[in-house]
Amino acid sequence: MAQTQAPAFKQAKPSPAKGRKPVNIGDIFSYAILTIAAILVLMPLAWMFSTSLRPTHESFQLPPAWLPTKFSWENYVAPFESSVPFVDLFINSMRITVAVTVGQLVTCSLAGYAFARLRFPGRDLLFLLLLGSLMVPFQVTIIPIFLLMRDLNLIDNPLAIILPGLISAFGVFLMRQFFKQMPQELFDAARVDGAGHVRSFFQIALPLAGPAMATLGIITFNATWNAYFLPLVFLNSWHKMTLPQGIALLTGYMGSGNPSVVMAAVTMAILPVLFVFLAAQRWIIEALTRSGLKG
Amino acid sequence: MQKSGLLPELTPKRREAFVGYMFILPTYIGFSIFILYPLIESVRISFQEFSLLRGSTYVGLENYVQMFADARLRIAYINTIIFTLFAVFFNAGIGLILAVMLNRRLPILMRNLYRSVFFFPVLIAHTYIAVIWRFLYQQDTGVINYYLGVFGVEPIPWLSNAHWAMAAIIILDVWKNTGFAMLVFLAGLQSIPNEYYEAAQLDGANERQLFFRITIPLLSPTIFFILVIFMIGALQVFDTIIVLTQGGPGDATRSVVLYVYEIAFRTFNMGYAAAVSMTLFAIILILTALQFWISRRWVHYE
Repeated sequence: MAQTQAPAFKQAKPSPAKGRKPVNIGDIFSYAILTIAAILVLMPLAWMFSTSLRPTHESFQLPPAWLPTKFSWENYVAPFESSVPFVDLFINSMRITVAVTVGQLVTCSLAGYAFARLRFPGRDLLFLLLLGSLMVPFQVTIIPIFLLMRDLNLIDNPLAIILPGLISAFGVFLMRQFFKQMPQELFDAARVDGAGHVRSFFQIALPLAGPAMATLGIITFNATWNAYFLPLVFLNSWHKMTLPQGIALLTGYMGSGNPSVVMAAVTMAILPVLFVFLAAQRWIIEALTRSGLKG
Repeated sequence: MQKSGLLPELTPKRREAFVGYMFILPTYIGFSIFILYPLIESVRISFQEFSLLRGSTYVGLENYVQMFADARLRIAYINTIIFTLFAVFFNAGIGLILAVMLNRRLPILMRNLYRSVFFFPVLIAHTYIAVIWRFLYQQDTGVINYYLGVFGVEPIPWLSNAHWAMAAIIILDVWKNTGFAMLVFLAGLQSIPNEYYEAAQLDGANERQLFFRITIPLLSPTIFFILVIFMIGALQVFDTIIVLTQGGPGDATRSVVLYVYEIAFRTFNMGYAAAVSMTLFAIILILTALQFWISRRWVHYE
């Protein structure tokens, strides 16, 4: 428990055990459990990676060779040469993800600022209404949105996914919380200098909102990059699909696809997520901890 | 950028209101078109016999009445509830155990390393994880059965047996999502002041008493939050199932959302699909409200 740290820290007496209690059974036990859990979490990912490097004829080998004897990098080329237009899928996913992320950053920062720092009639009611929409599950709204997109001739068009993604009640909430924490003095000083509300937003609030924008950007990027339901409903021709759709299809009916090639494709699809996670781990973890949004 | 210059006739107060409305306008346009309108429209469609070709006719409560006779819907609801109970229990339980262990006396580097490892699957798409695990779950060629075989376990028909298929989906879900529960619990644990523990230890409390008398009560708002979030998510399970089992074998893993998706977009029976989705929405709202109501008895806010 955490309480064992504090006393050890306070009594700065030099003792043989570096001022700490000796290791007890509980510590060893929890180390063991944590390590087993970590191995269980990592094993499927390690299997994915090692299989992606294995020659095709070895991909079903048991026991699995965790360290590949040969590095069959050609597995990473195979998806590009398969019947699945891998490059198109990657570009489609990237295009939708970037459009949605940029769109949300614009709409959410504007609305978040208005709800946090501007006064206008009906503000709190409008904000509550928006927050209430977080309770509405996607499968309730999808049918009318599908019919709407059909009337607009947007079926099999990335706009059918981008347009509904341009706003986010959660994003507005996140940005509002951030803008609310900014000290009022900043804005008073700007007012004295004759800045209007629009200029206060662009020249004072926005330049300071980097961390919040990064947080929202990362969460939105990840959610959109991983989205499966909306693309499945709206995109149905090969060259319009997104990466998750393509990989599900590459796997084939009942997993009939070549495991080595499929795992190479999955590894490539996960890499952007891994890089973003390693680069921005602290922000992601803090934001998710505080906001409590599920991945 | 100086919009204020364009509106010289407005008072400062009105100018502020004008800018406010302009700032929320994009969000509210999107909100109206993609949330408010579909929500109302969905209620309307649920009272219709829907046909893409012939147009729709109002049939009153017929779609809602039809549900009571729909055996597959009943199975989908039972599956969804079983999945939700197990997924919530194990995600929250294992997440809590991992968080408590991480909160012990660990070097900060080790704690961050374990935390990152446990959390990383949360960020990966359900689709990709299901694709990976579909290979791992294969009865004859899968890695899982191989290692179970080392301990003398007979090969398990993970995806072809009704009960094992549900277990397979729950295991995958816990593998992916328990890291989120762990993260939130760990943050909750670290916000409990050390003084409480020190005082209790002076009174001679042992570790078990510390856990059940201090940790659990002070963590109860976090536990409640995790239970609500995971319940709402689990009731809408879809991505994993459609990739891993497609609802099979038979209807053994068909969830309500998968069923809605199939009636709406494979048979285009939109009216009935809308009615089913309304019942799920209602059930989510009722269960969430119920959890809030029950929480007054066990959640302690400081």
